[in-house]
Amino acid sequence: MKLPYRFPILIVVGLAVLLVSVFAQSGGYTPGEFQSSNPNYPKPNPFYFEGKIDWNLLNITTPSNAWEYLQRGMHYQDDMDDVPDATTDYQTSLSMNSLQNQTCQIVTAATLVNGNIPTSLTPAPCMFTVRLRLGYLQRETNPSSAIELFQEVLQIDPQRLGVNTLIAETYVIEAQQSTDPTTQQQAYANAVAAYQAELALSPVTAQFTALTADAANNSKVHWELAQVYEATGQNSLAASELQAYLQATQWHSDVYPWRIALAQNQIHTLAAKK
Amino acid sequence: MHLRILTTSLVVSLLGMLEAGCGTSVQSVPNPPQVAFLPQTFQPPENCLPCHQRQYNELHSAVKSGYRNVSPLFNGLESAGNLVNGGLLRPVYSDSTVVLPDGTLLNTNMYTTPILKETRQVQAGFCFTCHNANIEVLGNNPNNREIPQLAGLATCNPAPPAGQQCFQPQAFRPLRDYVMVDANGNQLLPPVPGGDPPSGAQPSLGAAGITCDFCHDEAGPDLNRSFQMDGFANTSLLLNQTILKTGPFSDPVAVKNNFHVANRNPSDIAFLTNGSFCNTCHDVRVPNRNLTAEEHNMNPGGQNVSYFRLENLSTEWQIGPYNGTNNPFGHLVRCQDCHMSLFPYAGTSTYQVGDMTVTSPTPGVFATDYAAVPGVATADNAPLQQRQVVEHYFTGVDVPLMSPTELSARLGPNYPDPYGMGIDTHGVPNGLATRRQDLMMAAARISLGKTDATTQLGQTFTVRLEAVSLTGHRLPAGFSQERTVYVQLAVTDANGFLLYQSGYVVDKPHPNTGEPAPDGNLDDEDLEHLHAVVDPGSFTATYTSGTGTNGGNNVVFEAGPDDGPDARIFEGAQEGLVLFRNELTHIFLPGQAIGRIDAATGKPVLAQGVHFEETFQAALANTVDNFRSLQPLHPRTYNYEIQLPTMQQLQAIGVTVQGPLHVHAQINFEHFPPLFMRFIAGVTGATGPTGHSLNLMDEQRIDTYLKNVKGIASDDFTVNLTP
Repeated sequence: MKLPYRFPILIVVGLAVLLVSVFAQSGGYTPGEFQSSNPNYPKPNPFYFEGKIDWNLLNITTPSNAWEYLQRGMHYQDDMDDVPDATTDYQTSLSMNSLQNQTCQIVTAATLVNGNIPTSLTPAPCMFTVRLRLGYLQRETNPSSAIELFQEVLQIDPQRLGVNTLIAETYVIEAQQSTDPTTQQQAYANAVAAYQAELALSPVTAQFTALTADAANNSKVHWELAQVYEATGQNSLAASELQAYLQATQWHSDVYPWRIALAQNQIHTLAAKK
Repeated sequence: MHLRILTTSLVVSLLGMLEAGCGTSVQSVPNPPQVAFLPQTFQPPENCLPCHQRQYNELHSAVKSGYRNVSPLFNGLESAGNLVNGGLLRPVYSDSTVVLPDGTLLNTNMYTTPILKETRQVQAGFCFTCHNANIEVLGNNPNNREIPQLAGLATCNPAPPAGQQCFQPQAFRPLRDYVMVDANGNQLLPPVPGGDPPSGAQPSLGAAGITCDFCHDEAGPDLNRSFQMDGFANTSLLLNQTILKTGPFSDPVAVKNNFHVANRNPSDIAFLTNGSFCNTCHDVRVPNRNLTAEEHNMNPGGQNVSYFRLENLSTEWQIGPYNGTNNPFGHLVRCQDCHMSLFPYAGTSTYQVGDMTVTSPTPGVFATDYAAVPGVATADNAPLQQRQVVEHYFTGVDVPLMSPTELSARLGPNYPDPYGMGIDTHGVPNGLATRRQDLMMAAARISLGKTDATTQLGQTFTVRLEAVSLTGHRLPAGFSQERTVYVQLAVTDANGFLLYQSGYVVDKPHPNTGEPAPDGNLDDEDLEHLHAVVDPGSFTATYTSGTGTNGGNNVVFEAGPDDGPDARIFEGAQEGLVLFRNELTHIFLPGQAIGRIDAATGKPVLAQGVHFEETFQAALANTVDNFRSLQPLHPRTYNYEIQLPTMQQLQAIGVTVQGPLHVHAQINFEHFPPLFMRFIAGVTGATGPTGHSLNLMDEQRIDTYLKNVKGIASDDFTVNLTP
């Protein structure tokens, strides 16, 4: 069978266009190429690189997966002060790494094979950074969504430090934003539970004190918990938390060192209220 | 017809090009042919001294020479790695009878293996190779062997094969025990492992570490032994132990009595004088079979050797702005231009980086001098000309953690005092500590210029700190997961009342290393973003490899009040410590013990999910974040959202804040995190896995020799306080 004369010409032109498009990319990053072409682009196996890589080193023109959207979002937020675009990228990333639409999974003991992680996982493991970043941005505007995201992080890594504190702080925001006393009361109660969960991750034990000379830790949690107790009229508990705060700052001070003097003053004030 | 042929040809060509562009098959790259010269035994640097006195003196004070081999920290790190894996990091030699589980005979080490196909080959001599490759090569001859092959090598897990003995931690010696000889050149061991140098001890050939011969014996990169076939990392360097010595000059003068022959090969000279030479060692890639070390040896047969990047300095330079012309100097700036030149003592340059105007020392300025001693060095006493010469100080971020007396006892009576005074004939300070300080002061600049100009009590305001690294690599580099660069920032009122602090330290007790009360020293205090204590392990009669009794996991791990690094990266928070230190991370799988004991049950705490935690024991890391350090010539802005106290709060504590507010920021360098050094003290101490002290690190050494460099860069800003 003879091809019409113009058909081979179309093939040649088409191939030429394809050739140009293939080699036009040779100077930059091509999705799918990893360390041999770009040592700054780590290949996930099986967990994503949870951290921030300098955006200019990644050579990503257009993000193509959850991780790349996360990286660009971090670039927008941290380097460009562009929170709206960062939020959009985080949301896109999350849509590609979602428990709800089953594009990611929580790795549990049942996932392991002979105690090891399989060399590939489908769907991919859930990322915690995008959830923390998006949740942090939504604390004031959408606290319930933020709390859901933080709770997903706790599903990924229940022992990750600071996540329960974020949940507690968001409940406090929810309480402060609410005008309904019942909602407020529940939010504060939830905050207390979350703060206590945070403290439980770093228990003060005899071994801990022997190694560090610290009689308490987590000064930030104790300080914030005291404020919640004071706001809800639980003065005795507030004073107790302020005492713990003072113990925790004994050898570590505070980023706001005036709080130490203020805590001492508050303890006296609260005692006077008894 | 012609069109059909054309079409077919194009299709074939296109497929070929696609294959070339996208294929993953890798061909072995032959190393360049080696030219035969008369063999010459690896020379002690003293043999080079008569003709190259200046270079000898300079190299003698460099930490990569001499000191590194007796360094308590290097020896402690190497020991800690061996104690957790049963001695696998010690070299094996050609007479080894160790058989790997797959039946392979393990009788080559990281340097002598032609293509690294087994993780155990990379582990064998992993630390030792980079610091003493020639000695490792010589060790194939038992008569020349300084570092013995250990018996056992992790064979007690769960029990040794028939006829073999277990790894014996109680007999374990640090590497530096083996680098002493008596007056006759016979190895002289301290009477007890880790003991003081015996009477009459002199440094062995291996004690000199990186010597004249190591560099000038180079014969190009070893492409086959480098994981990416690029001559990077883990001593990917071909060494000629012959009389051929490569120097920087294309027209060298003939050497007296043919002690050596000066190499005229342009490619060898170009290699020595470029960053490519440094690249062979200044990436360190750690073999790891665990789950997140995805990069692997590309050499044929090497795919089972996967690794992560511990030191990534060479890659950082290779892909950075100084390896090209797109930098403020408009020309390539090599490693040698800062670490082998008169830098930072040869004038300054002012240039623009982003929106920052920077003045910093000029790289690539060299002294003019004789390359050898006139009247001594040349055949027929041929006259020498003065030329541009390099310094051999190789100044970096390190100073010895030993006293001059200790250094002399192990490295010879003339070992230079790191804290010595005066300058050399090129105007460069004699003291390593001074050179290190001056080098660090050239490393970065900061600006607070975009900080909010006004604020009110009870409100938040934003401090914007812009930081830029001026180094050829990221800052910090090298062992960048422990080398620490950070921002210390304080906001005070007009009376000096402290309203906010970050990057601060507090004098405190350290009962785990015998400091029961604050000692008035702040250099031995950790930053307040994280409180951690690393398990030092303990001795057991029957050795089992792993962290069970050999330490390495965090027994205390909690967030501190200045928790900036994690909050900034993972949450996007604008508060807390700005820390440029990279991080080694251990990802624990569900059900794995994370190293702590549940006080209520007395049982190990297990990971409930996939648990990420910073680790200070490199041997336990299964992933690494090398992007927390500061990228060269790429300014980054870090915000601090600072909450000011309310008037009511201030009244409660009897303070009146008076404006304007003063913001002060500075970049500091911390030699090593004290908690990391306290781990080394514990794991090599008397109660550690060996059951005896290796005499390397203790609280007194930390207190005496851990010297940080403060105020590398600083800036101040005034904020008006409105009613």
